[in-house]
Amino acid sequence: MIYDPLMRAYFPGFPEVVFLVFVLAGCEIDGSDNLPRVPDQGLFILADVNQHEGDDSAQVAAAVFNDGEPVNLVGGDLFEARTATERVLLKQGGPVTGSYAASLPVDDGVDVFLDVVHLPVEAREDRWYPIDLLYTDPGPGELVGKSAMVRFPPAVTIAPLSQTVYTSISDVIDISWDPVSEGDLMRVLAAVECTDGLATSSYGVVVDNEVQLDMDLDDGSELISLNKFIYDLDAGSDRLKFISDAALVLLQELLNQLSAGNIDPDFLLKQREANPIESTCEIRLFLQRQRPGRFDVTFDGGRVTGSSSAEVNVIYQPPVPFN
Amino acid sequence: MTFKPGPWQRLCILLVSWMSFVADADNMQLDGNLLLTGIDAGSSDNFKSGRAITLHYNYYFNNWLAADAGLLLTAKTLEESSQDIVGDYRTNIQTQALLLGVKPRYRLESPYEFYGRLGLQYWRTELEVEEYFGEGIPEGSSSATDTGYGYYLGLGVAHYITEKFIVLFELSHFKQLDVFEGDTAYPFDLAINAFSLGVGYRF
Repeated sequence: MIYDPLMRAYFPGFPEVVFLVFVLAGCEIDGSDNLPRVPDQGLFILADVNQHEGDDSAQVAAAVFNDGEPVNLVGGDLFEARTATERVLLKQGGPVTGSYAASLPVDDGVDVFLDVVHLPVEAREDRWYPIDLLYTDPGPGELVGKSAMVRFPPAVTIAPLSQTVYTSISDVIDISWDPVSEGDLMRVLAAVECTDGLATSSYGVVVDNEVQLDMDLDDGSELISLNKFIYDLDAGSDRLKFISDAALVLLQELLNQLSAGNIDPDFLLKQREANPIESTCEIRLFLQRQRPGRFDVTFDGGRVTGSSSAEVNVIYQPPVPFN
Repeated sequence: MTFKPGPWQRLCILLVSWMSFVADADNMQLDGNLLLTGIDAGSSDNFKSGRAITLHYNYYFNNWLAADAGLLLTAKTLEESSQDIVGDYRTNIQTQALLLGVKPRYRLESPYEFYGRLGLQYWRTELEVEEYFGEGIPEGSSSATDTGYGYYLGLGVAHYITEKFIVLFELSHFKQLDVFEGDTAYPFDLAINAFSLGVGYRF
């Protein structure tokens, strides 16, 4: 049985419950600490399914937490994402512990169902030996049979902005899009890559209503300061919210999809080497319209969303200092 | 309790008996070799190097061509441990083979000769998989055995210590075709590449 979760009722202090804010005084992120803020009691599901503009597949990311600890699916248990006609198994581990990701071919307007299934042979399909002859089946785990479902919100259409060049982190990016006023939530995910000619930094950030008040309203426009994306390595990064949890898994999968696999699997977790504020940075902004999904009543809580996204690229290019 | 040999053991007994019988004749050679092996199942397998032995009997038809009959026995060869969404796993493989072929050679004036081997093999291979799923979930292992045919190749050089005693260096390639064909949707060909050092006796 499936029901609509009342997320805000469960976790009034965290409207976007699962996102952990990384307030970094240092210069790097350790991906192993990249765990979302989830309740320390009960079984909690995180799942994001995103369809990007013009893409005929959706990126699916999912994880389950038990008493605050990520649950690794083992022994042939795994997430299956499916539509009425397509199906994919989430075999790829995401950059967040206990998270799994895959891309699922989708048509417009379809529902996506997520199930935990036990498929001891298919789960081993990447192994070289006769998996249908040689396997030990410990039987289905406790999560098998649990499910969730998402429905995509209307597509996002961003007003043209691409390749605008900004020269100061005080500058403001004016993002505008076509609102649909159906109560969906908006947020921006960004993949940032900076180079100073010698070194490179890359990282992911999120701008949601924890970072910027009313960011989540689907009102058609948002002014976002560049300091939500670019920071000074020497001064810290307390204005940024580095991306984590299922959103991190999802954005990495989206970048993989858009680059046909030609992207570093740790792109969003890389060490910072170039100082972004002194470097030329390409900022890939992914504006997401999110709609809550539903999950099985046997979960104690969760956050399941379907989203549509569109991308716009801007450039940060600091002025060259005179000697 | 009586020993009842199966088909495989009978074949070995026949081969050894035949080799013992013909050992009294002229123009023959027996050699034993220690092999350092590399096993390749043709996919993403990652076997460690292994050990094996071969025993060869040669009957020389003339100065440059001999019949080659032999036995290959590998030790259990382990694969590096791997991890995926199912858990941790590691395979190991062990094989035996009967070899039958020809051995051309070229004897130099010096105490050296170059030789090759080319022939067919009848193999028996056992593959085992050990799996670990994490705390609280029972681990396990499973294994399967198959037999079949393949071929082998070798190139070597022999050094005559005396006219009777020889030291051999050899590079060998053993190919087993369609391992587990018919039992699985995922059969594979198994290649064993080896460098060997051996000693031989001419009589």
